[in-house]
Amino acid sequence: MALQREQLEADVLIVGAGPAGLSCALHLANLIKQHNAGGAKPELSAENIYVLEKGREIGAHQLSGAIMNPVALAELVPDFAKTAPLDTPVTDSAALIFTQKSSYRIPITPPPFNNAGNYVISLSKLTKWMGGLVESAGVNLFKEFGGAELIYSGDGIAGVITEDKGLDKNVKPKDNFTPGYELRAKITVLAEGTRGSLTKQLVATKKLDNINPQSYGIGVKELWEVQPGKIQPGFVAHTLGWPVSSKMYGGGWFYGLQNNRVSIGLVIALEYEDPRFDPHAAFQTWKTHPFVRNLLDGGQLVRYGAKSLPYGGWYAMPRNYVDGGLIVGDAGSFLDSQRLKGVHLAMKSGMLAAETIFEALKKADYSAKTLQAYKEKIDHSYIKTELWKVRNFHQSFRNGMLDGFFHSALQQVSGGRGLIDPMRVHAGHEAYGKIHGRPAPERFKGDGKLTFDRLTDVYHSGTRHDEDQPCHLKVSDLNICATRCVEEYGNPCQYFCPAAVYEMAKEGDAVKLKINAANCVHCKTCDIADPYQIIDWVVPEGGGGPNYEGM
Amino acid sequence: MNIIVCVKQVPAKDAPLAIAGNWIKESDIGFEMNEPDSYALEEALRLKEKHGGEVIALSLGPERVKQTIKEALAKGADRGIHIADDNFAQLDPLGTAKLLAAAIASQKCDLVLTGLQSDDHGFGQTGVLLAGLLNLPHATLIMQIEALDGRLKLKRELEAGWFQWIECPLPAVLSIQSGINKVRYATLKGIMGAKKKEIAVVTRESLGVAIEPTQKIERIYVPTKTKKTEFLTGTPKEMAAKLVEKLKFEARVI
Amino acid sequence: MRILVVTEQRQGKWNNTSFETLVAAQQIAAATPGAVSAAVIGKGVAPFAEELASKNVAEVLLVEHDLLESYTPDGYCVALKQVIETAKPDLVLFPHTYQVRDFAPKLAASLGKGMIGDCVGFRSEDGRLVFVRQMFQGKTAADVTFTGAAPWFVSFQSGAFRADLLAAHPGGKAPVNAAQVTLSAGDIRTKPLELFKEAKSAVDLTQAPLIVAIGRGIKAPENIVQAEALAKALGAEIAASRPICDEGWLPMDRQIGSSGQTVAPKLYLALGISGAIQHVVGMKGSRTIVAVNKDQNAPIFEIADYGIVADIFEVMPALTEELQKTKG
Repeated sequence: MALQREQLEADVLIVGAGPAGLSCALHLANLIKQHNAGGAKPELSAENIYVLEKGREIGAHQLSGAIMNPVALAELVPDFAKTAPLDTPVTDSAALIFTQKSSYRIPITPPPFNNAGNYVISLSKLTKWMGGLVESAGVNLFKEFGGAELIYSGDGIAGVITEDKGLDKNVKPKDNFTPGYELRAKITVLAEGTRGSLTKQLVATKKLDNINPQSYGIGVKELWEVQPGKIQPGFVAHTLGWPVSSKMYGGGWFYGLQNNRVSIGLVIALEYEDPRFDPHAAFQTWKTHPFVRNLLDGGQLVRYGAKSLPYGGWYAMPRNYVDGGLIVGDAGSFLDSQRLKGVHLAMKSGMLAAETIFEALKKADYSAKTLQAYKEKIDHSYIKTELWKVRNFHQSFRNGMLDGFFHSALQQVSGGRGLIDPMRVHAGHEAYGKIHGRPAPERFKGDGKLTFDRLTDVYHSGTRHDEDQPCHLKVSDLNICATRCVEEYGNPCQYFCPAAVYEMAKEGDAVKLKINAANCVHCKTCDIADPYQIIDWVVPEGGGGPNYEGM
Repeated sequence: MNIIVCVKQVPAKDAPLAIAGNWIKESDIGFEMNEPDSYALEEALRLKEKHGGEVIALSLGPERVKQTIKEALAKGADRGIHIADDNFAQLDPLGTAKLLAAAIASQKCDLVLTGLQSDDHGFGQTGVLLAGLLNLPHATLIMQIEALDGRLKLKRELEAGWFQWIECPLPAVLSIQSGINKVRYATLKGIMGAKKKEIAVVTRESLGVAIEPTQKIERIYVPTKTKKTEFLTGTPKEMAAKLVEKLKFEARVI
Repeated sequence: MRILVVTEQRQGKWNNTSFETLVAAQQIAAATPGAVSAAVIGKGVAPFAEELASKNVAEVLLVEHDLLESYTPDGYCVALKQVIETAKPDLVLFPHTYQVRDFAPKLAASLGKGMIGDCVGFRSEDGRLVFVRQMFQGKTAADVTFTGAAPWFVSFQSGAFRADLLAAHPGGKAPVNAAQVTLSAGDIRTKPLELFKEAKSAVDLTQAPLIVAIGRGIKAPENIVQAEALAKALGAEIAASRPICDEGWLPMDRQIGSSGQTVAPKLYLALGISGAIQHVVGMKGSRTIVAVNKDQNAPIFEIADYGIVADIFEVMPALTEELQKTKG
C-alpha cells in the first residue's frame, strides 16, 4: 500500500530513552539553555530534540542488576546524591565461588568485583527519574513510539520512520490504523540498547563493523522480597562456578536493596557449544544452591526480566558516527565486561554525543566529518581509559574459564595487552556444535515456589502486547527451522529464549515453528543467538513489551 | 457538542499488588488510564469530530493523575480539569461523584461520559450517581450514540444478547460499554500539542464540596482457597456420571 | 432488621438472580435476625408477586403503575423511593444485574445513602454486617461496611448465592400488598423503545454462569466440536486459553486470561488446560472449577474443586452423553 506518512522535522532525534539516550537529551538541553541564556546565535531549542521510547513508560524496558558507578551521573546532575532515586550505596562486595553444595568467599575481593563507592540502583527507576528531568528541560519525549526503519541519506542517515500502528495479525489496517511518521532530523542518535534493530541495520549497511564481531551475553533477573534480616542493603555478591560449566562464561549475582528486596540473576555469554542450553533453566538451577535457597526462603517473587548485554568491548565497537548519525550506549558497545558496568559509560557516551551535536548544530554541519569529533571525545575520555584496559578481556574466555583467567591475569599487568592483542573471536552463534541425533533434554519445570517455569516468570515480567498485530519476530526462512535446524541444532530458539516465545509444534511427523510473540520481553537473544541468523527482531507496536517498573 | 469525559487513573493492570490496609502500596507500580474510560474518551472524540464542540478530560486524584489527563489531551481532548485530592483512593462512590459533579457543574456541557467501571475499585456507580447529583437523564451500557437536534438515540446492552434503543434528551450522562470502538493512538503532534493545553486544577475546598462517607472499605486481602481437589476415579463413563452427580447435588451448579 | 428485596423480571420472565437475592435476604434475616419483604415492580405483574408469596418472606409488595410497564431509571427511582420511604426497610437488596446498575446507585443517593454493589457475600460480625466484594478485577477481596444510618443498599453478584436454597413459606402464603406510588410522565426523561435480540459481535463471557474452556489439549481445531457439544449439553458458553485464540481456532473474544477476559462463573470446566498462571488469573474466582487433563501434575489441579486425570477425548463424549441423559 502506498502510504501517506506524516512528516515531521526535528533538530535531533534520539531513538531510545535509556541511560544513554536520556543523558544525551538532558546534556544537550542543558548546553542549549546555557547557549541561549548567553544570547549566542543561532538560537537553539530543546523542543527540537525528540526522544522516542518504545515502552509504555520511561524505564518500562530498562533492566539491569544494577550497580552503578556514579561518575557520569555526577557530571550530568551534580546534586544527584540528593535527588536521584538511588537505592543504596554498596556496603560490602563479595566474590563467591559456588560448588554444587557449598560456597566459598574469596578473602580479598578481586578488584573487578569490588564496588566500593558505587550504588545499587534500579535502572528502571533511575531512567524514569531522568525522563522527568528531560521533559522538564523542554525536550519532546514520545512514549510508545519505536524506530522501525532508518531513513538513509547520502552516506548516512536522516531520521527514522516510526512503526505503523493499528495493523492486524495479517498486516491489514484496523479501524484505528495510524501509519508511522517520517521523522527527519539533522542528527539521529541511535540509543536502542544491545542489538538495537536500527543499529544492526546501519552497521551492516554502512559496514561499520570493527575487527571483532560483537559478543553478547544474556542476563536473566528476578526481583524478590525476602524475609527481614536475610541480607543487608548494599551487600553485593557475584558468584562464579556452579552451575555454569568451566567451558562457559557466566556467573550469578545478588544485590541487597532497601525494604528487604534483593536483585538476583545469572548472566551467560551467548557463545556456548550446546545448542540446547537453557539460560533461564540455568538461572533457576542456580537459585537452588543452598546459599541462594536460604536467602530466598520464605520470600516472594516480585518481578522477572531478561536482557542481552554487549560483551565485546573496545574491539567490537562499531564506528559510531556517520553523516547525520551517532551511536551511543549498549548499542555502541560501551560496556566494561570485566567490571560488568555499562550504565556510567552509556551515560558518558550520551553526554559526549550531546557535546558533539551541540557543536554541529552551532556550525549547521551534520556531516561525518564534524561528527567524528564524537569518536575523538571518546578517545580522550574515561570511556577509553576504562575500556582500553579490558579490550581483550571477554575474548580471553573463548576457550573456557581457566584459559580466560590466565589471559586476563596477564592483561591485568600489561594494561590490557596480554599475550595476544587484539584477541580475535568469531560470532557467538557460530560456536554451536551439532547435536548428532542426541535426544532432547527434559525441560525445566520449576517447583512454583523457589523456581519457576518460563511462562510463570514471563507473567511476572508484566509483558503485554496487543495480540492482534503483525508478528514482530521475522524469520526469513521457516523451512530451515523445520528441516535443517531440527537436524543440526535441535532448534535452539526453544531453549535460549527466556520468555518461551519459540516452540516447535508437532505437525504430523514434522515440526513447525510456532511463535508466541506476545510473550516477548525484548531481550534480543533470538536475533543474536540463532545459528543461521535468520531471525530479525523488529519493533512491535509501541507500548508493548515488558514492564520493568520498579525493577 | 461540549462533552466532559471522566477518566480515572488506576494502577497498571499487571502491577504486582502489595496490599496495605484497605488500599495498595503505590510505590514502584505504574499507573494508566482506566481501560473502560478510554472507550468513553474515544466515543467523545468521535462525537466531537462529527458534531464539533469541545471535549474536556476530567480526573480526580493526586498529582500523578495529570499524566492520564495529558494522555487524553494527546488523543484530542481540548482541555483538562484536575480535581487535586491526595486521599482519592479512600473516597466512596458517592464522595467521588460529588466532587466530579461539582467540577462538571462549573462547565457548560451537553454530555457527560464515563466508562462502565474502574479496574481498581470496580464500583461501577460513578456515571449513574453523576446523573442523580446533576439531575440529568442518563443511560448505561451504551453501545452506540446517534445525535439529532438536541436529542440522542442510544443503543443499550442488556443481558443474554438483548439490546434496546432509547431516546434521551440533552444534556445527559452516559456510561459507555467497553470495547465498542477501537481506541485511537495518540499522535506525535497530539503529544506535543498536549503540553500547551490547559489543565485547570481545583480542590474540594475550591469546589465547596463537603463529603460524608456512606461506606468504608475495612480491608482488602487475597482470598485464600480452602478447598481441596477431589479427584474422581474410574472409567471415563463412570467419572462422567460421578461428576454430573456431584455438580448437581454437591456443588449444585447445574 | 427489615430487609427489602427488589426483584426483577422482564417481558414475562423472571431474572433468576432475583431468587438468589432472596436467598441472601433469608440468610441475612437468619443472622441478624430480621424479616424479609420482596418487591415486584411493573405493570400487570401480579402473577410474579403471587409466586413470591409462596416463598419464605414476610410480605410481597406489588408496585404497579402504567408508567412502570417498561423499565426506565427515572420511573424506577421515583417509584422505589416512595416505596422505601413508606416501608422503611433497613436493608435494600438487589441482584447485581445490568438493570440494577442502571438505577440503584441513584436511588440510594436520592435518599442520601450509599450503595455497596456487586457483593459476593456477607458476614455478620459483632452485630454489624460486613459485605464482601471483589477489587482489582478479582485479584483481591474487600470487606466493606456502611457508615451512618439505614437504609443501606446492597447488590449481590450473580451466583453469589444459590437460588435452589430459597425456602418456601412455612405457613402457606405471605400477604401480597399493593404499594401506592405516584408517577407522572414528566418524571420520566428517557424513552425506552423496543427490545430486540442481536447476534452479539463480541461475547461477554463475564456474564456467562457456566463456561466450558479448552486449552492446548484439544490439539486441533476439528476437535473443538466435541467441546462445543459438551457446552451445549451443559448450557454453557465455550471459552479458551490464549494459545487456542492465538491460532485463530476460536475468536479472541472467547479468550480467558490475563490478556483476555476475567470470569467468575458458577462452573468452569477446564478441558486440556495446563493451568499456566496467565490463564488461571482469568478464572480462579470461579465458584466451582472442574479440570480434566492427562497430566496429573498440571497446575490447574491446584485450583480445581474436582479433578479428572484422563484423556479429554474420552471424557468429553462421556460427559456430554451423561448430561443429555439427565436433561432428557
